[in-house]
Amino acid sequence: MSKRIRWRVLLIVLVIAGLVAGYVITGYSHAQKEWVGSGSPPLSEALKKGIKLGLDLRGGIHLVLQVNTADAVKAERDDAVEQLQTQAREQGVVLGTVEYPSEAAFAVTLTPQTDEKKLDELAKRWLADFNVSTAGGKWTFLLKDQRRRETEDNAVSQALETIRNRVDEFGVSEPLIAREGTDRILVQLPGIDDPKRVKDLIKSTAFLELKLVEQGPSTDKNALAPNGVVPPQMDLVEEKAQTGQRQPSWYLVKHVAVITGRDLKNARPSRGQYGSSSVTFFLTAAGAEKFGAVTGANVGKFLAIILDKRVQSAPRIHERITDTGQITGNFTPEEANDLALVLRAGALPAGLTYLEERTVGPSLGLDSIRKGITASIAGMLLIFVAVVAYYRRAGWNAVLALILNAVLLLGAMSIFNATLTLPGIAGFILTIGMAVDSNVLIFERIREELRGGRAPKTAIENGFSKAFATIIDTHITVIISAIFLFQFGTGPVKGFAVTLIIGLLISVFTAVFVSHTLFELEYGRRQHIDALSI
Amino acid sequence: MELFRQTNIDFLRWKWWAIGASWALILVGFLAIAVKGVRFGIDFAGGTQIALRFATRPDIDHLRKLLDAGRLGDTGIQRYEAPEKNEVLIRVQQQKKEGRDITAEVLNLLRQGVGSPADASKIDLNAQGKDTLAARLVAADPDKFAGKTGETAADHYGRTAEQVIDRRSQMGVFRSPADAASLPGLSTAVKAWLQTNTVAGPFVLLSAGSVGPQVGADLRKKALWAVAASIFGMLVYIAWRFRSFPFGVGAVVALIHDTLITIGLLTLFGREFNLVVVAALLTLVGYSVNDTVVVYDRIRENQRTPKKEALESVINRSINQTLSRTVLTSGATMLVVLALFFLGGEVLNTFALTLIIGIVIGTYSSIYVASPIVVIWKQWSSRGRLAAVPVIAKPTAPAPAPPSQKKKSGRR
Repeated sequence: MSKRIRWRVLLIVLVIAGLVAGYVITGYSHAQKEWVGSGSPPLSEALKKGIKLGLDLRGGIHLVLQVNTADAVKAERDDAVEQLQTQAREQGVVLGTVEYPSEAAFAVTLTPQTDEKKLDELAKRWLADFNVSTAGGKWTFLLKDQRRRETEDNAVSQALETIRNRVDEFGVSEPLIAREGTDRILVQLPGIDDPKRVKDLIKSTAFLELKLVEQGPSTDKNALAPNGVVPPQMDLVEEKAQTGQRQPSWYLVKHVAVITGRDLKNARPSRGQYGSSSVTFFLTAAGAEKFGAVTGANVGKFLAIILDKRVQSAPRIHERITDTGQITGNFTPEEANDLALVLRAGALPAGLTYLEERTVGPSLGLDSIRKGITASIAGMLLIFVAVVAYYRRAGWNAVLALILNAVLLLGAMSIFNATLTLPGIAGFILTIGMAVDSNVLIFERIREELRGGRAPKTAIENGFSKAFATIIDTHITVIISAIFLFQFGTGPVKGFAVTLIIGLLISVFTAVFVSHTLFELEYGRRQHIDALSI
Repeated sequence: MELFRQTNIDFLRWKWWAIGASWALILVGFLAIAVKGVRFGIDFAGGTQIALRFATRPDIDHLRKLLDAGRLGDTGIQRYEAPEKNEVLIRVQQQKKEGRDITAEVLNLLRQGVGSPADASKIDLNAQGKDTLAARLVAADPDKFAGKTGETAADHYGRTAEQVIDRRSQMGVFRSPADAASLPGLSTAVKAWLQTNTVAGPFVLLSAGSVGPQVGADLRKKALWAVAASIFGMLVYIAWRFRSFPFGVGAVVALIHDTLITIGLLTLFGREFNLVVVAALLTLVGYSVNDTVVVYDRIRENQRTPKKEALESVINRSINQTLSRTVLTSGATMLVVLALFFLGGEVLNTFALTLIIGIVIGTYSSIYVASPIVVIWKQWSSRGRLAAVPVIAKPTAPAPAPPSQKKKSGRR
């Protein structure tokens, strides 16, 4: 064996050993995370877990949500209106009606009694984030663009954080929660097999408010708010629809909440009076102080527990309560569990809309893997038979190179932590096709050289060197298209591109380098070769 | 074994016939698109698609009636996969009103309408996930775990639930609670609990997808960009590699030709376009260019010989020299794609079909479209004069020296 060949063989062995070891190590680290038994997971488990499977193979949920940032802007505006009205009342500034021309603006009508100078002072002091324009006895306040962008941006990051908390609490392994574009959030939860529950869990705003009931409940909305005019400092809230109930009930409650979800320290599912499920919440020190003061002063009154703008229940206050309370309702154990979870994880700053959702059940994933593997193995075997039948001895070289190609691809995917998807399996099969093409190009060249009367050794060398440029050209063109696919593709298609790119790089290595070395190992030592079996 | 031994076929003699045939195929495709219209999957059109596996053979007409009662707009329902698998695919069009959870609505309609009305207090083993099942087991505690030390009840029942759901995945669908209760390793108490507190619903959800109009439009735009950008990328690469505009044009015309015909034929066969098919189209684009590049490489190499030779003859010789490689590679790739077509399952079926069409058309086009265009372009640009063409490309970089010492037999 010449020195050069020895180096080549060493390099090949190193690459193989490195990738195989990488696969096993990655497999162990993945298996370790999910291993529940004692000690370390067995090798068979590590071999199974070497490659990260995409949602389409593993089962799970893929969601794209849009944060309705307008909600957050609206909340900012409403806060400002409240601020202005409170301050105006304290300062004795008379204000007319308030209109809402857009989610970021409100207009105040002036009355003859309005002190414009004082109003201007108030606006400057308390509404610095708004631009004021005055026209026709109306002052229009518009949220400044920069402040608006900040509000929207905050809403999205807060929503992301809240969703992450909820998913973590739910206990999903390897979730992916990421911001996409300006106002979208991507959520990928592998292994989840209860899509509806998770969807509801993520989407529920979970905005909890406890407010004193002034009047109600009543099915007659008009009795609470005559002619649709809600009394000042009051809100009209609908009761959560009960099963079998036709007409909705309404409550008239104080506008200012006693406590909100922000005052919660903890929440957990519990059993209610009649064995039904309920949620018990615990307040922070500050929250408990407020709660104690209000409940102490209002014994005998009703307190509405309002979740997402719907009255959940309205129990009577029997005594002064400080740091704990219970939310009852017609909950199933799962609902109570999930409500406690979202209360712990915090409220969403804005509503969410599902733009895209994909669920793959575990049995479909299993089916797809089985079929993908069957197709891959069948395809490879067919190629082996064809190549050996056509090129005989040299065909075995190609077979070896192809098997190596497959092994190295798995190793590389494992090391790069690339995800294998169903289209990825197709990409794998295509890589095998390209690798065969490289071998065919080389062998045909060698045959041509032999026909041209060259000696076998020269024919091999010429065959490899002449085919080289073509192999590089063909691989680069396909890699170019794969890169664009990766750039613009989404989800599983990206997995296809990744497999293809890694596979093609390996294919160049096996077809050109490994195959050539095999030929040299076989024929290199001999002084004379009478005929090539090709 | 050798299939082609130094063939000498005058391929370019039939180039006008070939061009006619290509146009005919493209026209057939256009006609199919005009008459049937391109069928977009939910990826591009938006809407909801649900795949279910039933425990017993589903009555499609009955299911259709159930769905019609839900006022979901345009719905489609069809069998899916092999008939003995009892799988159906349901499509619901994009809803005008946002915020409806169509998947949940469809599942509820079907669950209530198929089979005997199940006891609401019982858990549907075919519908629930392992978390819910585990929670119910913890609440019921059939193994009387409370108070015992060691493992927590959540862990204990979590594992039980996982075993049950894994069993479901293996079986495909439970036909009765006995299927779950027969699982080895469960305690008698858990088995009894499963028998009395669970039912096996009519179906298992295989997959559900729902794409809103915004995302659909986004995905459409992205897919178009991906195809356009990759075609442009390859044009640039080939034009640079061969230092010749006609070659670049020839390759790009060939691959536009392939893409058009494939889209047309897929439409003719009534296949649906989704993201996976776009991936297949891009693969086809890569494959077609790959084939063309092999022939071009040979043309370039043959043009380097000092002997003056008519372009048409050089091209013919090059095609003949690469013929056996072309047929072999196409054949080998076809073998794997056929394996994918027959064994890869429903999801990869259209992917495989796209490639089957693509490989046939791509092989044909590298011989009969890409090369004739170079000839026609040159003839046209020299006004019909069939002149001997000078070397159109200088050797770009020095080709890598053959690894052996015998350089005299190298490429120059």
